[in-house]
Amino acid sequence: MKRGLVQLDPAEIPEREWHDRVGSLQRDLATSGVDVALIYGDVSRSDDIAYLTNLCVYWNEGILAVPAAGAPVFLTKLSARVHPWMRLISTVAEIRSGRGFGELAGKFLGDSGAGTVGLIDADLWPASVAGEIRDALPGWQMRPLDGLVRAHRQSPSESELTLLRRGAGLLDQVAAQAAADGLTPAERIALAERELRGHGFLDVLASVTRTADGVATIQVTGQYRYLWLHVSRVADGQRTAWPAWAGELRAAIGAAAAAATPGATGADLQDTVRPLLASLPPGASVSVRWVHLADMATNGEYASYPADLPLAPRSAVVVSVEVRFADGRYATAAETVLVGEHGPAWLTGGAR
Amino acid sequence: MTIVDAGAADGAAVAADSAENSLRLGRVRAAMDAAGLDALLAFAPLWRRENVRYFTDAPVAGTASFTLLTAAVSDGAAPGGVSAFSTRRSDLDAIARRGWTTDVHLISAHSPTALTTRLAEARPGRLGVAHYELLPQVLMNQISRALPKAEIVSATRLMDDVRLVKSEWEIGRMREVAVAVAAGWQAFVGALEPGLPEYAIVAAVEAAIKGLGAEDNFMLIASGGDEVRGMTAPTPRLLERGDMVRTELTPQLNGYWLQICRSATIGKASDAQRRSFDLFNEAVEAGLAAVRPGVTADEVARAQNDVFRARGFGEYCTSQYTRVRGHGHGLHVDETPIIEGNETELPENAVFIIHPNTYTPIAGYHVLGDPVRVTPNGAEILISTERKLFEGAI
Repeated sequence: MKRGLVQLDPAEIPEREWHDRVGSLQRDLATSGVDVALIYGDVSRSDDIAYLTNLCVYWNEGILAVPAAGAPVFLTKLSARVHPWMRLISTVAEIRSGRGFGELAGKFLGDSGAGTVGLIDADLWPASVAGEIRDALPGWQMRPLDGLVRAHRQSPSESELTLLRRGAGLLDQVAAQAAADGLTPAERIALAERELRGHGFLDVLASVTRTADGVATIQVTGQYRYLWLHVSRVADGQRTAWPAWAGELRAAIGAAAAAATPGATGADLQDTVRPLLASLPPGASVSVRWVHLADMATNGEYASYPADLPLAPRSAVVVSVEVRFADGRYATAAETVLVGEHGPAWLTGGAR
Repeated sequence: MTIVDAGAADGAAVAADSAENSLRLGRVRAAMDAAGLDALLAFAPLWRRENVRYFTDAPVAGTASFTLLTAAVSDGAAPGGVSAFSTRRSDLDAIARRGWTTDVHLISAHSPTALTTRLAEARPGRLGVAHYELLPQVLMNQISRALPKAEIVSATRLMDDVRLVKSEWEIGRMREVAVAVAAGWQAFVGALEPGLPEYAIVAAVEAAIKGLGAEDNFMLIASGGDEVRGMTAPTPRLLERGDMVRTELTPQLNGYWLQICRSATIGKASDAQRRSFDLFNEAVEAGLAAVRPGVTADEVARAQNDVFRARGFGEYCTSQYTRVRGHGHGLHVDETPIIEGNETELPENAVFIIHPNTYTPIAGYHVLGDPVRVTPNGAEILISTERKLFEGAI
């Protein structure tokens, strides 16, 4: 459940930008001959909905309906008692609650003449929810619209960059504290939770892993406003007794992030890093990957990242280097990076 | 979600848990038999992992994970007949080290080959899918293609029913969560002071319970006076003297959720706030008194609502003002709803919270409730935190 701060602040993202985001989608819909786009979200992944409206699906499921002309409407199974809060924290004026999405969609669109409904990222919709919608709208055509909103989210706006930099600064600072010498895993996680949520993060997902030779890494994924950030750091970095590979891992993430330039692929990053990890024990493997911040709600696991996919300029990504040992345990280092036209800009880890 | 990978699972503990694992597989197989299922696929999206946890007792983190259980254990099948699949590599190690199944596979959402291969090998005529209703189209298509002749049906209710009655092993786990519940509430009250934003209270609670190893938390909050109509995620609102601050606080530890519902005032409670507490406490007591093996959810809800009705506040038990009079607990935070009209029987060792949370004009939305276990002698309260109107920032 999302249980951090959600707020709509025009000083952070101006009203005009919210309007333009919806307008851009509506132009795409009009061009495609789609009358209304439906965007499904649940508590674990609703970033398209947040990008368009700042709505937070803090629990359960919801569908944002964006007509080709007119204001978006939010359809939800959550009680009408939370509508005032949802209006307070979002740009949506109309919210409808009901027992099921078929009923809600039927009431919303049933009275207008049949047309075309676009299901944004239809493949990721629960099949039964898509079926409910289809059954509730006889005569309507259903068209998959893959990645239509996600594509806009891959290059942050200036407003978003300001928020990302602010959030990254906080995350960087907290990750350094949480990776400090001598803390237990639970203490590292508790520190990250207290500091990040205390500074207004919406979500914090922190974990600590430890290898058989005792090297701990702390991973923190945080959501500042609706934007995701991530770092993974080797803990207890001042110790001198670490195996050589732990130091190499820290050098490797620096090299991988520095290689995150426009056009570089995951395979390129892997080639950059591999020679730097010369001291790994037998049976260990290295995996280098990058994931758009736009996909961090699912750690990139619902998107496709072939090894030859190039990094696009102005995209914001997490670059990670993971070392996996023969016993199944692993250590990881990761930073959040903006792929600038002339090279990467560190959002986290810039002080390295 | 918080996972602390503290090292290899203790071998003796794994052995001691084998009876629980066997008990679960037996229960599920009996339910499958009754439902005519040849195989059961439990799907876990990020926010509904209870069934995969039931089969693995491992903290999975993947965006999509599954377990597959076949009705009959055939030659070459996984030990116990359970196979596990996840989109996150680290889950494989976590599941295998827990030891309830060691047949673990990495899958991709767009090409879950290990899963579809195993399904095709099992060739079920009738496959039940727990959380069928949440299964993404991309995965449903591939499962259907792997089993072109199979009937695929929802097994969500089947698994809900299986999980309703807790074993002693599970009750033991839930008692352990009570420690985090107490610490979370203590941190909540300790943080209260005028000028503090709501979200900072949540930060204090999270630090306290995560420091004890909690994996997750379900928490709603509201602050203010008698204008407060419900709870949400925290806002930037600053606490003021005279406020009542309400919360549902629900740590998850070792897979199990346990909830506490309490309200606290900033400074001394007013007469109205005390009268409100007295009303809600009477409703909780009535709910507790109704508990016995085989009581229905309707009866527990009705007992609470009757208190409001007797005091002239019956309209505030309707959906305009409130949702449920409680709900089940376990590997999911919100199981069987305790609500009038729900005739689900709550047998011995069912666990649920009794919370008559609602708005009244007395002092606004009020939150109060305790989680209980159904015993032959009635309700056993599973937390130790006193049920009173707390006063913070005194």
